[in-house]
Amino acid sequence: MKTYGTEPGAPTSVQVGISELVVSDGDDTLKSYGLGSCLAIALYDPDSAIGGLAHAMLPDGDAADNSDRKPGKYADTAIRALLRRMVEQGASYTSVEAKIAGGSDMFEFESFGDGIGQRNIAAARAELEKLGVPLVAEDVGGEYGRTVEFTPGSGRLVVKTADESADNGVTEL
Amino acid sequence: MKLDVNALGTFYRMAREGAGLAAGRLTHMTDVETQVGVTKLNFMRGQEIQRDFEDATETVAVRVQLSGAIEGYSMIVFERESALRIVETLRGDSDEIDAGAETDDGEFDEMARSAATEVGHIMNSGFIDGWADVLETVIDVSTPEFVQGETAQPFFADIEAAPDDDDLALLFQSRIETVDTEVGFSHYLFPRRDSMASLLDRLRTSGGIEYDKLDGFDRMAERGAEEVAQAATTMTGIDTSVEIRRLNFVSLEAIPEQVADEKLVGVAFEFDGLPSGYLLFLFDEDSAHEIADAMVPMDVDGDGDGFGEMETSAITELGNIMASGFLDGWANVLDTTIDHSPPEFVHDMGTAAVDPVIIQLGETQEFAFVFDTVVVADGQEFDCEIYAIPDEDDLERALNDLDVDRIEGTPTTAEFQDVTNT
Repeated sequence: MKTYGTEPGAPTSVQVGISELVVSDGDDTLKSYGLGSCLAIALYDPDSAIGGLAHAMLPDGDAADNSDRKPGKYADTAIRALLRRMVEQGASYTSVEAKIAGGSDMFEFESFGDGIGQRNIAAARAELEKLGVPLVAEDVGGEYGRTVEFTPGSGRLVVKTADESADNGVTEL
Repeated sequence: MKLDVNALGTFYRMAREGAGLAAGRLTHMTDVETQVGVTKLNFMRGQEIQRDFEDATETVAVRVQLSGAIEGYSMIVFERESALRIVETLRGDSDEIDAGAETDDGEFDEMARSAATEVGHIMNSGFIDGWADVLETVIDVSTPEFVQGETAQPFFADIEAAPDDDDLALLFQSRIETVDTEVGFSHYLFPRRDSMASLLDRLRTSGGIEYDKLDGFDRMAERGAEEVAQAATTMTGIDTSVEIRRLNFVSLEAIPEQVADEKLVGVAFEFDGLPSGYLLFLFDEDSAHEIADAMVPMDVDGDGDGFGEMETSAITELGNIMASGFLDGWANVLDTTIDHSPPEFVHDMGTAAVDPVIIQLGETQEFAFVFDTVVVADGQEFDCEIYAIPDEDDLERALNDLDVDRIEGTPTTAEFQDVTNT
C-alpha cells in the first residue's frame, strides 16, 4: 500500500501488498501480511545492501498480457523486475541471492488442481535458476498462512505463521 | 444502458487513480501522511446509501457538481470529528479538537467552514483530475458547497442524480486515511444516468449486461443473505440479522485488503453451476467460540486459543448449512442449479484464507464482483462476514439468461434491522 508523504531518510516499514514489489536499501523493513498461496520473493545483494520484496500471486507472467503493467503480480516477471531495479540502484547482479516464503495450499478444491501454491513455488525456482540467482533459503508449502518481514540491509527474512504446532510460529531465514 | 467488465474495470482504475491524487494533495496541503484504503465500485440502492449517512454520527461533506465527460456530483464526506481535526491541523493548533472551531450551538464557525471546504475541494479536484487522466478528457467542476447534517436529507435531497430508494446506483467509493491518526474520508460519485450511459457505451468492448438486469444481482444478494441469517438462527438458536449486504466490483488484489489483519475462523467452499465460484464464511475468534458453545453446549475440548474437534465440526457444519441456504437463494433467483463442495475449515490469518481463491480466479480475470454480507446477532458475539465471488463469465451468462420480469414477482422478504450490538 502506498503511503503519501513519508519522510525520506529515516528507516521505514513498507507494506508490500498483493501484486506489488518494492526495492529498497539499508534498514527499511518490507512486509507482506497473510500470505496463503501467494509467494513472497526476497532478493538482496549483501555487498551493496540493496534488496527488494515481491508479493506474487500467479506463476506465469510471460503468458499474461498485463505483466508489463503489473510485473509484481507474477513470480517470473516479479523476479526479473526486482533484479532490474536493484541493478539500476547499484546492486551487482552476480552477488544477488534469493529467499522465498509462502505458497501454501490452504484448500483442496477440485478446481485448484495440483495446488496453486505449488505452481507459484515451482515458477519462482525455475526463474531463479534460469537467471543464475542462488536460492539460499526457503520456507514454503504446507497448509497455513505466513507473514513475512524482510530487511534488505541484512538480507534477514522473518517468517511468522499462525500454525500452532510450529516453533512459536517464527522462523528466520 | 449496458455495462461490461471492461467498462467497470476502467471505472475502477479511475477511482484508484483519483484516490491516489486526492491523497497526495491532502498530504501536500496538511503535511500529514496519508494512505489510500480500499477502493471499490458499489452497486447500492438509494435506501442503503441513506442508511450509510444515518449511522448516528454527524457528517460533513463538500460537494461539487460536474459537467463535461461525467455529469453528476462528487462528494467528499468526513465524520465531523475528522473534519475538525483536519481544520485544526491546517490552522497549526495542536490544542484540543474543540479549540474554537465551533460556535456554541455546535456549528462550524466561518473559518472552520471555509478551511474544511478548501480541503474537501482540493480532494474532490484530485479525484476528478484522476478520472480525467484515465479517460483522457476534460471534466468541469462547479464551486464547492459545504453540507452538514445528521441524516441523508441535506446531502442528497436536492441532487437529481441521487438514486431513489429503490434505484440501484453505481457508486465510486474510496477511503483515504491519515497514518497513525483517526482521520478518515470517504468519497462518493453520483453520476447522472444518461451521462453514465454514454460513458459506458464508449468504454464497453463486449455486448455486455443490460443495466436493469443488475436488479438480479441485488436480488441474489438479498435472498442469499436472508437464507444465511435464517440458517444461522435455526442452527445456533441465536437471533441473527443481516447488517450489511452489498455488491462490489473490485480488482482481485483489493479483496484481501478488506479482510481483518488477524487470525480468523473460516469455512470455505467452491461452488459449481451457473455461476460457479467460491464462497467464504469468516468469523472472528470470539464469535466462533460463542457459536460453537451455542451449538455444543457442553464444556468441550476448547483450550482457550485453539479450536477442538467438537468446535471445529460444529462450525464446519454451520458453514455447510449456511452455504446451502445462500446458494439456494441464488439458484432460486437465477432459476439454475448450483452445487457446492464439502466444507473446508480454516483457522488462520484471514488474508491467507482469501488469497488462494483470488489466485485461482486470477488465472482468467482481473476483477471480480464480490457479494459482501455481514450477519450479526443482537446482544451476542456473532459477526460473520461472507464473501461470495463468482466466476465472471459464468455470472455474466447467468444474468443475461435472467428474466427480469420474473424476479420482479419474487417476494422480497429480507429486511434490514437495527442491531444495537457493539
